[in-house]
Amino acid sequence: MWKLIKRIWTAMRRPSAYFSLGFLTLGGFICGILFWGGFNTALEATNTEQFCIGCHEMEANVYADLQTTVHWNNSSGVRAGCPDCHVPHDWVNKIGRKVAASKEVWGWLFGTIDTEEEFEAHRLTMARREWARFRANDSLECRNCHSYEAMDFAEQSQRAADQHERFLATGERTCIDCHAGIAHRLPDMSEQAMGTTPERVAGRLREVSAYHPDRQELDAYLSARQ
Amino acid sequence: MKMTRREALKAQAVATAATAAGIPFSAEAQNLVTDRDLTELKWSKAPCRFCGTGCSVMVATKDNRVVATHGDAKAEVNRGLNCVKGYFLSKIMYGRDRLTRPLLRKRDGVFAKDGEFEEVSWDEAFDVMAERFKAALAAKGGDGVGMFGSGQWTVWEGYAASKLMKAGFRSNNIDPNARHCMASAVAGFMRTFGIDEPMGCYDDFEHADAFVLWGANMAEMHPILWTRLTDRRLSHPHVQVAVLSTFENRSFGLADIPMVFTPHTDLAILNYIANHIIQTGRVNEDFLRDNVRFLRGQTDIGYGLRPDHPLEVAASHADAAGASEEIDFDTFAEFVSDYTLDYVSELTGVSPSKLEALAELYADPETKVMSLWTMGFNQHTRGVWCNNLVYNIHLLTGKISTPGNSPFSLTGQPSACGTAREVGTFAHRLPADLVVTDPEHRATAERIWKLPEGTVPEKVGAHAVLQNRQLKDGIINAYWVQVNNNMQAAPNMMEETLPGYRNPENFIVVSDAYPTVTCEAADLILPTAMWVEKEGAYGNAERRTQFWHQLVDAPGEARSDLWQLMEFSKRFTTDEVWPAELLDANPEYRGKTLYEVLYENGQVNAYPLDDTSDDYANDEARHFGFYVQKGLFEEYARFGRDHGHDLAPFDRYHEERGLRWPVVDGEETRWRYNRDYDPYVSEDRQIEFYGKPEGRANIFQLPYEPPAESPDDEYPFWLSTGRVLEHWHSGSMTQRVPELHKAVPNALVYMHPLDARELGFNRGSEVRIVSRRGSIRSRVETAGRNRVPRGLIFVPWFDATQLINKVTLDATDPISKQTDFKKCAVRLEAV
Amino acid sequence: MRISNAPLHAALIVVMTAGAALTQTGGGGVATLRGAPLDQNAEAPAMRPQVNTDIRQVRNYPEQPPVIPHAIEGYQVDINANRCLTCHARTRIGDSQAPMVSVTHYVDREGQALAQVSPRRYFCTQCHVPQHPDEPGVENVFIDIDTLLSQEFEGAGD
Repeated sequence: MWKLIKRIWTAMRRPSAYFSLGFLTLGGFICGILFWGGFNTALEATNTEQFCIGCHEMEANVYADLQTTVHWNNSSGVRAGCPDCHVPHDWVNKIGRKVAASKEVWGWLFGTIDTEEEFEAHRLTMARREWARFRANDSLECRNCHSYEAMDFAEQSQRAADQHERFLATGERTCIDCHAGIAHRLPDMSEQAMGTTPERVAGRLREVSAYHPDRQELDAYLSARQ
Repeated sequence: MKMTRREALKAQAVATAATAAGIPFSAEAQNLVTDRDLTELKWSKAPCRFCGTGCSVMVATKDNRVVATHGDAKAEVNRGLNCVKGYFLSKIMYGRDRLTRPLLRKRDGVFAKDGEFEEVSWDEAFDVMAERFKAALAAKGGDGVGMFGSGQWTVWEGYAASKLMKAGFRSNNIDPNARHCMASAVAGFMRTFGIDEPMGCYDDFEHADAFVLWGANMAEMHPILWTRLTDRRLSHPHVQVAVLSTFENRSFGLADIPMVFTPHTDLAILNYIANHIIQTGRVNEDFLRDNVRFLRGQTDIGYGLRPDHPLEVAASHADAAGASEEIDFDTFAEFVSDYTLDYVSELTGVSPSKLEALAELYADPETKVMSLWTMGFNQHTRGVWCNNLVYNIHLLTGKISTPGNSPFSLTGQPSACGTAREVGTFAHRLPADLVVTDPEHRATAERIWKLPEGTVPEKVGAHAVLQNRQLKDGIINAYWVQVNNNMQAAPNMMEETLPGYRNPENFIVVSDAYPTVTCEAADLILPTAMWVEKEGAYGNAERRTQFWHQLVDAPGEARSDLWQLMEFSKRFTTDEVWPAELLDANPEYRGKTLYEVLYENGQVNAYPLDDTSDDYANDEARHFGFYVQKGLFEEYARFGRDHGHDLAPFDRYHEERGLRWPVVDGEETRWRYNRDYDPYVSEDRQIEFYGKPEGRANIFQLPYEPPAESPDDEYPFWLSTGRVLEHWHSGSMTQRVPELHKAVPNALVYMHPLDARELGFNRGSEVRIVSRRGSIRSRVETAGRNRVPRGLIFVPWFDATQLINKVTLDATDPISKQTDFKKCAVRLEAV
Repeated sequence: MRISNAPLHAALIVVMTAGAALTQTGGGGVATLRGAPLDQNAEAPAMRPQVNTDIRQVRNYPEQPPVIPHAIEGYQVDINANRCLTCHARTRIGDSQAPMVSVTHYVDREGQALAQVSPRRYFCTQCHVPQHPDEPGVENVFIDIDTLLSQEFEGAGD
């Protein structure tokens, strides 16, 4: 093995006997472009809505959700596709996200989510992963289009303007804290499903349900506390 | 109408100013009025005017006006809650355009079919009307006249109408709009149990472990029952909710098992569940042995279209759709074994896992199941079959007539049960489930009504859809519509309804509180008192009869339907409308008015004016000189007492928040056919379906058969129609309440976003919805409260500006004659 | 079949002057909410966004559920989540400054006050509805109790 590496190393170090330096430099450059271009093209191909909804589970669930929301139809005709929100726009993070996404390919290959019921069963897990990512990067993908500085409060409802001024401007909260569920249906947000998460304790996740529908369980909980 | 647009605007401005004056801006006006004499309101109970849930509301009146309403905390049904429509009941009577005088089409001072509406006196209105009715009766007998009534008639109005038509005019051409609503449920009950209406009651909501909504969108159409169901589901986590529909509606918001299926394939799902129960050995054999028999129903029964329609010609048993023959369990089991999971999943488009989960709710002996349905089943060309098949699965498992085990047919109108069904205002019916085709039943009616033998005709009258066809064909020539808006509600308006009403041979009378599109197509419009402007009684979907008092006066010359019916009857004598043979045999009836024969018979007029309440007005009693509502009710109640339909004495209902019949020894009955609750069950039986021989209910063998019209290349979309939460039926009341109108101003076409994109439509695009029969214009909605699958659109029918029934097909269930408003083929065009 | 796009009043005039057409189609012009002769189709009114002013409307009577003075398009209210309660729940109104869910909503079917909003009140839009800027075709002349009382005062002064 060591011999093999040594031989390659020797070959690499030896000056070329057949090709000119110009050829090698230019050739290397072209090959580099081809390789890099190909890689990026492939990367970009996986970064389109069409690629995302190539999988049935995406098309039938989250993509169907999206079609009734404001990120699909709105007054100015701007549409956000899957990667706009779910893939970071800067290169390093994008690659990081792509590597993480290999897990999703794995899930697809092995049929983790084949049916609507399975999708619903995993909805909370998947949603939480995205919420955590958004919180960690201060809702970067939201901010690619929506920035606080560019907001015209005169065009917003008073309620929205107040909230943005109070919570977004101060950095007390980030977009996803209030706008979770804006593009897809929310998973089961009850306390039974959510559990006592670190986010909940820290008060970071402004989970959408403040509501505890399970009365029996709640009554039991309250009486246990007394 | 004499009020010009300019006058209307002026009146509007004055009223706006008056409303503004009520908002105290000045410091002076901010003082709270505390004088008890001024602030005290008179609160009275009344059932809600809208759906079949039958919520009780408290109504506050002051100075002869309704000033507030809220949910009745003492009412079992709703315990203080109302839906948004119910909370706005206070305003339904106060649309600016209430009809206050009769309007007759006239030209040069006389009636003319092509004339303009002019105000006339009641006398002139009734004169012209009587002349036309007499002419039709003289020419054709009972066949020449017709009446289209309603599940919104009060009990006594329906009863008085039925007497006038069936005995007075000797015509069974009387049908209620309930035909559009739950005729399939009625036929289902009669075929399976032999007695109409649910065996269970709303108490089942607090007992069931699982709820299955078969097409019913209760979140919008039965909101208060939905609160009870939601309460049960969320308070008790073991409870499961399955919601089935052809598109995702608001009720899916609570679904543990959501199922969107291909239209019409619910038949196959029902048979699959029966098969699953049998295959997994969960049949309740003891129950079957004692309480059930098996029948094979007639198949290939057509689609209730006109007889010359190719589909009717092709159907081999369209003439005997309701026939059946006895089979045994093994034959039935063999038959349903074809409905395998794979086949049904393929046919319906529903995943096998969901189908199995649904079937398990029924199969699991430990799960108490409540099945609920309304228009999804009933407005179906195999609607009676759907009803029969859902009873099959409850009977196979014995999950019936016990708390929480309940196949429950919901109704759409406040008195679909109380009036249309129990009073029997259908073309084939008499009170208390009696039918005109049975000589003994007719004899019973004639005896109770103190009328000569042979008065009530045997011939089944024209049902709703047939009435419109017969108007178009000039068979019915004098026609009276009360408490409904059938121009908007009936199917295939352009080919049947409108040509029928405007047929120059016909005289159309419409009684309504507001000028609806049906009024527009009429020749005479009669201004009508509504809701608490008269004393009334409604019967809801759980057999609960509820009364209310007259709380305010009707505006102008508006009169109740009851007043109109009885007053009109004074203009006819028996000699004019009864055949000579009948009078020859019973000469004591000669020369009498129908009013005397029908309503001054010693029974209807048995209760004096003094019996009416001192605290409430009663315009009808005052006018006729006796307690007319009580007399009619007590005469009517004779039909059902001691026959499983017992009603309590009249006066008690004014005290109670309703009672569920049969009321025996003063006690209401919650679960019929079960000895623990129902005094009609024999001593030696736990369960007895006493409407059928040997107390056995029928399990029916019935197949999946395709719908009448399916999408094709030319008309590629399914059209489903229905209602919305904020409006009730044709919107004639709720569209006049500003808050409700502003909540949902117009009908929209709900369609899939990708279908819209493919056709080049945006959300909000104006489109034309076109079928083989007609078209309307509407706007595309791709979001909102419904999520429809590709290839299907949903359009609600409340909007008078968008008459979707121009587009629908008048195919009916061949047994129940109820229209399938949920399925026809359409295409969409850009406008 | 092309259906005329002519303005509504023009269509009405045509129908009113043509007697034969009137027999066939009704005409008559009484149906206040219709907007076109029965056999024709007027333009479907444009869809407009929900009122989003946050200005509370006066209730017609104390028992009336308030209408929603803001847009709720896209709000999820289902078994998974209740968007309304993110602002209107007791614990949220500090942040949101929205009106708290009424105390009546904590009472169950048996009249017992609960620790949380009663499940029977879970689906907010069964009683509370947003509004659109569309005026009804017909005015409503309901008179509220305060106006009625002030009319009585005025009457007493005569």
